[in-house]
Amino acid sequence: MANFSTPPPPPGRPELSRWKLAFLMNVPSLILMGAVLVFPLFYAAYLSVSKVKIGELRRGFPFPFHGWGNYAELFQDPLFLLSLKNTFVFAAVVVVAELILGLAIALLINQQRLWLSRVSRLLVLLPYAIPPIANGLIWVYIYNFKLGFLNRVLYQVGLIDNYINWTGVPETALYALTVPYIWRTLPFAILLFHAALQGIPPELYEAAEIDGAGAWHAFWHITLPMLRPMLAVVLLLRTSFAFLVFDEVLAITQGGPGDVTWVASWFTYRRSFAPPFNIGLGSASAYVLALIIGILAIFYVKLLYRKVN
Amino acid sequence: MRSTRTKSAFLNLANLLLILFLLFPIVAVVQGSLMSEKTVHVDIHAVIPPEVTLENFVLVLTQGKYRGEVNTSITSTYMPDNIKTFYRAFLNSLVIALSVTLLTLVLGSFSAYTIVRLRFRWTFWFLQSNLVARFVPLISLMIPLFVVGRSLGLINSLTGVILAEAGFLLPYAILILAPYFQSLPNELEDAACVDGCTRFGAFIRVILPLSAPGLTACGVIMFIVSWHELLIPLVLNAQVDYMTLPMVLSSLVGDTNILFNVMMALALLSLIPTLVMVLLLQKYVVHGLASGALKG
Repeated sequence: MANFSTPPPPPGRPELSRWKLAFLMNVPSLILMGAVLVFPLFYAAYLSVSKVKIGELRRGFPFPFHGWGNYAELFQDPLFLLSLKNTFVFAAVVVVAELILGLAIALLINQQRLWLSRVSRLLVLLPYAIPPIANGLIWVYIYNFKLGFLNRVLYQVGLIDNYINWTGVPETALYALTVPYIWRTLPFAILLFHAALQGIPPELYEAAEIDGAGAWHAFWHITLPMLRPMLAVVLLLRTSFAFLVFDEVLAITQGGPGDVTWVASWFTYRRSFAPPFNIGLGSASAYVLALIIGILAIFYVKLLYRKVN
Repeated sequence: MRSTRTKSAFLNLANLLLILFLLFPIVAVVQGSLMSEKTVHVDIHAVIPPEVTLENFVLVLTQGKYRGEVNTSITSTYMPDNIKTFYRAFLNSLVIALSVTLLTLVLGSFSAYTIVRLRFRWTFWFLQSNLVARFVPLISLMIPLFVVGRSLGLINSLTGVILAEAGFLLPYAILILAPYFQSLPNELEDAACVDGCTRFGAFIRVILPLSAPGLTACGVIMFIVSWHELLIPLVLNAQVDYMTLPMVLSSLVGDTNILFNVMMALALLSLIPTLVMVLLLQKYVVHGLASGALKG
């Protein structure tokens, strides 16, 4: 690389062609991404059709071929099906909540004249700073049955007389798990909606006002249609990331009580990196997850490029 | 007039609720970390702790050596091992986050520049692959990375974690940086080239310094994501020497002996670096997050 940054080339010396320069500048990125992103994806496909448990792992490459065996085992495993179902429920609750709350809060902090809105605008990014696992542990304390912060507050305010076991009972555990996750990831949705709101030309609202349209009418006929591309972007991004929730599950419920909060990435992690160390099965379940999200990714790319052109 | 007043009263109330919601976990972690052991156990209804103490922080920051007067049961019976390696973990996290930031900034700016300025069909494909790469689930990469890293001897090292995190975050860095380079006028390099600079020289001396806000935005986000990362080090590293702060936190999970006051002190200490960053560099974080999600 050193010879690129040498002082002005002597007259007549040809500069590198644009193509060569573009290629050379991308070599390091391509190598790193090839090693960490592309190769592992193919290797995971190979592992998912191989029989790899702790014994095979010790003996090393190559692993015995297992065909569709892991996938067959996967879809007969009630725990995997439950994990998949929980993942869908979790993602649906999270995404619906974030779309509604994100838009409402973006509109709220967009109020220029209220000084409290300016305070909110300063604080809205705060959850983004919190490490997910720290967030998880904080909510372990908040939700704790006997000593937790939430029960303390609700008791002092006078809303409850007896402490509630938020994460310990099957009926509420999965929904209790959505709140910490929504809290941590909401800034992203708010931010994107807020950016989109600022991109709407104010003349549109002025024109509507002259026509005598109310605030509600303006929201339905100007704000919402103008935000439609952004709504789709947030929907796709948030859905695919909510599918991968891991840290909060690890911290707060570890899949419990019983197995009511097992989700897909927790299933993959536990099957692969805890006894019985079934790497093959774990890879198969990771691949199912990757395929579901891959479909969302295709929609995302199409959406962005339709918008550009 | 009345309706305007009702409206702003309603909006102020909504703002108050929002602020309460945003601060709730922060208040919880601060309250928890200031409690004495006795408050945790005996005064189970107290929101404002009757006994306020900083000894939980002292306990963590002296790596368990100074146990204080209010933390009696930890003195006599139990002390999580990983608290004894707090500084080690902090340092590991810092080394990893800084290396990942540097690596993604250098490689990311090279790639982002070529994508927006030296346009070819393949650079366009590369950009689209980066959009798709953002969607690759980390968990599906971790199994092969573990299996391969194991045979290459990259397990239980900081290098393995740095490379894995940098590679995983690189597409994101490129997506954040590309719009910044695109926003600079094309004439800049031409002017530099007239003065006898090579194109690469113009990139280094003209474009990069002018993109400082974009590089800051990208760097802050890379540092934050790396500081928060749990799964990659958790899978690749197991030895105490290579633990990161999130790993120390995760090792407290399900430990029924640890008390909330110590746990919250540790959680609070681990979130302070990125909290300070976000508060100081808020403008950059906002720009980076928005451009990384949209353009390309």
